[in-house]
Amino acid sequence: MLSSVAMGATEAHRSIEALWRIESPRIIAGLARLVRDVGIAEELAQDALVTALEQWPRTGVPDNPGAWLTTTAKNRALDWLRRQRMLARHHEALGYELEMEAPADDGIGDDLLRLIFVACHPVLATEARTALTLRLLGGLTTTEIARAFLVPEPTIAQRIVRAKRALSDARVPFEVPGSGAFAERLSSVLEVIYLIFNEGYSATAGADWMRPALCEEALRIGRVLAGLMPNASEVHGLVALMEIQASRTRARQGPDGEPVLLMDQDRALWDRLSIGRGLASLARAEVLTERPGTYLLQAAIAACHARAVTAADTDWARIVTLYDDLTALTASPVIELNRAVAIAMARGPAAGLELVDRLVVDGRLAHYHLLPSVRGDLLARLGRRDEARREFERAASLTQNERERRLLLDRSEHVVHAVDR
Amino acid sequence: MSYMLLIVEPQGDRADRSPADGEALYQRMVDFSRELESRGILLGVNSLKSEAVRLNKRDGKASLVDGPFAEAKEFVGGYFLLDCHSIGEALAWAEQCPAADWATIEIREVGPCYT
Repeated sequence: MLSSVAMGATEAHRSIEALWRIESPRIIAGLARLVRDVGIAEELAQDALVTALEQWPRTGVPDNPGAWLTTTAKNRALDWLRRQRMLARHHEALGYELEMEAPADDGIGDDLLRLIFVACHPVLATEARTALTLRLLGGLTTTEIARAFLVPEPTIAQRIVRAKRALSDARVPFEVPGSGAFAERLSSVLEVIYLIFNEGYSATAGADWMRPALCEEALRIGRVLAGLMPNASEVHGLVALMEIQASRTRARQGPDGEPVLLMDQDRALWDRLSIGRGLASLARAEVLTERPGTYLLQAAIAACHARAVTAADTDWARIVTLYDDLTALTASPVIELNRAVAIAMARGPAAGLELVDRLVVDGRLAHYHLLPSVRGDLLARLGRRDEARREFERAASLTQNERERRLLLDRSEHVVHAVDR
Repeated sequence: MSYMLLIVEPQGDRADRSPADGEALYQRMVDFSRELESRGILLGVNSLKSEAVRLNKRDGKASLVDGPFAEAKEFVGGYFLLDCHSIGEALAWAEQCPAADWATIEIREVGPCYT
């Protein structure tokens, strides 16, 4: 007889939920090729799931439950197509025509790739893209997505329904975009994956476990994409960036959940396996291109930190070079600010301050708390303590994050004490 | 969450297999690894050779014992490290692991060794 623990595990093993998570992206992708509508494909797949939930408790779980779900879903799709064809015959008399052929059946990998590109289609708002991607590619339930984004469940449900309708209304074809739109569409896909990752990564301690799970989900989708597009440098670059950032998860917070800055982190807490995978992805990304993209460059910067045994070992000169390239690609003032930090580390605080002051005049970061925070740091290192204190206070007044605010006020006070000494 | 699938093999089974049979099993495991990789959940995988040495250190003195270990009926023959959402998902994958047909799969969540 099974012990209660083993029974629990057996039940979990039979959990249709787990199976759904594993199988649903492929089932939906396969159906979408047949019915040419991602929303309908998802509903048909859900029908198959409902059938399983009804039948399996009575009949027992079939030997190959994944294949059972796939076959049942496909039969649902064929029924649906038959009905559509009958409707179309009526419509033909009125001048309607059936649409063009479905894409060729070139394997589940290509269907998955199409599904990713459709879920991240620019016709959708960013929020809709992330929700739909988690739903279709991650197999997450509406409840899980709502918990992950800290919004009410009906909001997510609405978002997904509207997204599916928008795709249908815009007649977005179920295909990987042609060379003309490819770069732009891929960048939308990568943006969605990185947004999902950052949503989880910015979560604080004690937050719901679904938020960190977003990091895992983004990594998983990123790795699947890297497998489907083995020659796309930026895809590997993004995976590398996420792996290396994720490796610091345990070191990013102190015992009371307070944020620990990169340079102050206990590097023994970094996940070496994750770093190893990140560096391998980075190497793959690097051999695939002569002109590194933004994700590759960010990953390369993250790798400089990952490779340094202690903070003092950081190769700042290399980081400055990488930031030079990144600034040239993005023209983003936030990147420029990071570059200033790197320059301060490589050439001293005065060189960094010069750039930061230029950003202050520039004005685009007027409400960004890290600008006065960095400036305060550089001023403190130059011994200009009164100015430094004022900058930290200003930074504290700009941040929305309570923990960060406290950290900044601490630093401000620390500068004052240094003056007293 | 990370889960380790440990492949616990009966002692002696490997020696009883013909090289061709062994290679066929190995190939099934390689195919399974590829499947896991294409799902984006494979964090690490390895098979382990049969030969083993055991070491412990008591009162500062190290002692070594060469295998095979007569008292052991089973040994860990390999592992998969997976990124799964839940124990249910890890178990669903363990069921698909070819080695479940000839060995036992032990599923363990990665986490601190103190409670």
